[in-house]
Amino acid sequence: MILKKILGLTVAACLLNIATSYGQENFPAVAIKSTSGRSVDFAKLIGDTKDTAIIVSFWATWCVPCVTELDNISDLYKEWQAKLPFKFLAISIDDARTSQRVKPFVTGKGWPFEIYLDVNHDLKRAFNINDVPYTLVIKNNKVVYQHVGYVAGNEEELFEKIKAL
Amino acid sequence: MRQNVWMLSAALTLTLMASTGYAQLEQLGKGHLSGSFESYTQLYRKDTAIGATPPQDKFGSNNFFKLDYTYKQFSAGIQYEAYLPAIQGFPFVSTKLNTTEGKLVNRYFRYSGKQLSVQVGDFYEQFGSGLVFRSWENRQIGINNALEGANIQVQPVPFLKLKFVYGRPRKYFDYANAVVRGADAEIDLNTLVKAPDDAAVHFTAGGSYVSRFQSYTGNMEDFPATVNAWAGRLAMDAGSFSLNAEYVRKSSDPHLVNQYDESTGKALLVNTTYTGRNWGANLSIRSLSNMDFRAEREVEGTVLPVNYIPSLTKQHDYLTTNIYVYNPQVAGETGGQADVFVNLGSSKLSLNYAQYKALKTAGKLFQQGDMAYFRDGSLEWKKKWNNQWQSIAAYHYVFYNKSIVEGGNYENIKAHIGLVNILYKFAAKKSARLELQHLYTEEDKGNWAAAVAEFAFAPLWSFYLSDLYNYGKTDLHYYNFGGSFMKNGARFSLAYGRQRAGLFCVGGVCRYVPAASGFTASFTLSFNN
Repeated sequence: MILKKILGLTVAACLLNIATSYGQENFPAVAIKSTSGRSVDFAKLIGDTKDTAIIVSFWATWCVPCVTELDNISDLYKEWQAKLPFKFLAISIDDARTSQRVKPFVTGKGWPFEIYLDVNHDLKRAFNINDVPYTLVIKNNKVVYQHVGYVAGNEEELFEKIKAL
Repeated sequence: MRQNVWMLSAALTLTLMASTGYAQLEQLGKGHLSGSFESYTQLYRKDTAIGATPPQDKFGSNNFFKLDYTYKQFSAGIQYEAYLPAIQGFPFVSTKLNTTEGKLVNRYFRYSGKQLSVQVGDFYEQFGSGLVFRSWENRQIGINNALEGANIQVQPVPFLKLKFVYGRPRKYFDYANAVVRGADAEIDLNTLVKAPDDAAVHFTAGGSYVSRFQSYTGNMEDFPATVNAWAGRLAMDAGSFSLNAEYVRKSSDPHLVNQYDESTGKALLVNTTYTGRNWGANLSIRSLSNMDFRAEREVEGTVLPVNYIPSLTKQHDYLTTNIYVYNPQVAGETGGQADVFVNLGSSKLSLNYAQYKALKTAGKLFQQGDMAYFRDGSLEWKKKWNNQWQSIAAYHYVFYNKSIVEGGNYENIKAHIGLVNILYKFAAKKSARLELQHLYTEEDKGNWAAAVAEFAFAPLWSFYLSDLYNYGKTDLHYYNFGGSFMKNGARFSLAYGRQRAGLFCVGGVCRYVPAASGFTASFTLSFNN
């Protein structure tokens, strides 16, 4: 019964709100946080970049292969950017246990990436990611490549994929 | 009845989608479809040396299937799970008392607009740092306390975000015999006072209220069937410096785990970070008193948490550093941890120190008692020598009060751990990795040595061999070998070996896993169009 009532209210509220909504992209509108604690809508972040390739890498401070991958990409970052500009978003899935370490950790690494936090895994869930590291390449609002896991040398494969787009 | 509600919900979704300005349903093909499949299967064998007793049919398999679709502002999704039966030690109880069971467990429908978002069905949510409320999923540990009900989020004015949750928490394949409801408000103080976007300091304040009700049929007068909890938080970010604090109070909540303690629960968490040009540091301080908060009074272990209290210690990555792992003492503890990360170019250093002690007096958060629960100090040095070679070397000191963390009567343990992890990339896509580790202690089971060798052929293949050896006292080898195949969003892995009995911790939540021996196969697949 409660569910039915809630559903009724939902529909009414949605219809009311549709008129005031703006044209959103098709990626789920999930709020993630910047390292300074500001809320950012992921769909808007992706929608703004159009035909520039965006690499979205899900990682965590406690995940050794994730950190090795980001260290290795960080070393190649300038060289890659000079050949082909792209955007790199590193989404930390560290939850309340370790999320406070993310900002100093990244500073101690000197990574050049845009860092965001997904503390209760809303974005991870929206993309159906089971394990980290997980890398997605998005272009023109479409996922064009995705890869689970990291072993040394995967970054070469990633760059080959971006070049081939 | 419930089936009808869901049919109705599906029909409404389609109708609403079709009425948003794009009449043709084929437009739906332009939405975002995402899904995943995860399967974890173990084939057990009897292994008396390590005390592994297989279940009757020597087989366990946990399976998860999830599908989500988003079109414009609308999302809908389902999750199906099957335990055939659940792997050994996994907290699952079949509702039908069968050994195997599969069920469509989660489903939702969500509308996310600019100022309003509404989700009905099963949902996950967190208030603040989770100290007062967190519903989440962790498949390794076996936690899924999604609420079935409604989650409404409103931003009536730009500086204010409100969240309302109402529902029944999930318990295995059923729901708890309880209701959880809550509200959270977050105020962006900079927006409120119309500070410029590039203001040097950014302030946010928040407050939460959570209440859980479970009817009480016993004969104690004034027994609290409803437990209320409040939290207040403040965050400040000044670029290189940040400070976060959260304080929680919980009304009298006698239940099984706190041994029917009627006192008020309290928690304080303070985090501060500083980042310089080439270094960063953070300090976390936390005190807890009677903060075990569950949806039902009679459950224990990892079942039905309402809030989230992780251990604030370094999360370890290696075989030997995972032997003595802290589990927070929610009944009462006080302590904290500090981290320093330094970038020296090709060398990176990280230091961590954590310490937790008993409270001197229950309910007094700022009085530290004499009994130490846990101490962990570590130094890690990562060095990239050239394009082919990189290494990690680390030292850890651990003090572990086994009687408190695991329960029982044991001596305190002091351990020293040293390890190296060497990566050699011998071709563009070929690499070898070697880990050597040693744990020294005079107490408990004595010394441990471990080695891991891994060979990877990017992008598809990787193989490993490992051994964790407890020498001197038990002389047991916990050997494992296996391989994995990865392609796009799919990963398949197969391993054979022994699993040590002990606390298995992911994300700061631990469950006890029994000793096991045999094959493990796992398959995960994700897709996004």
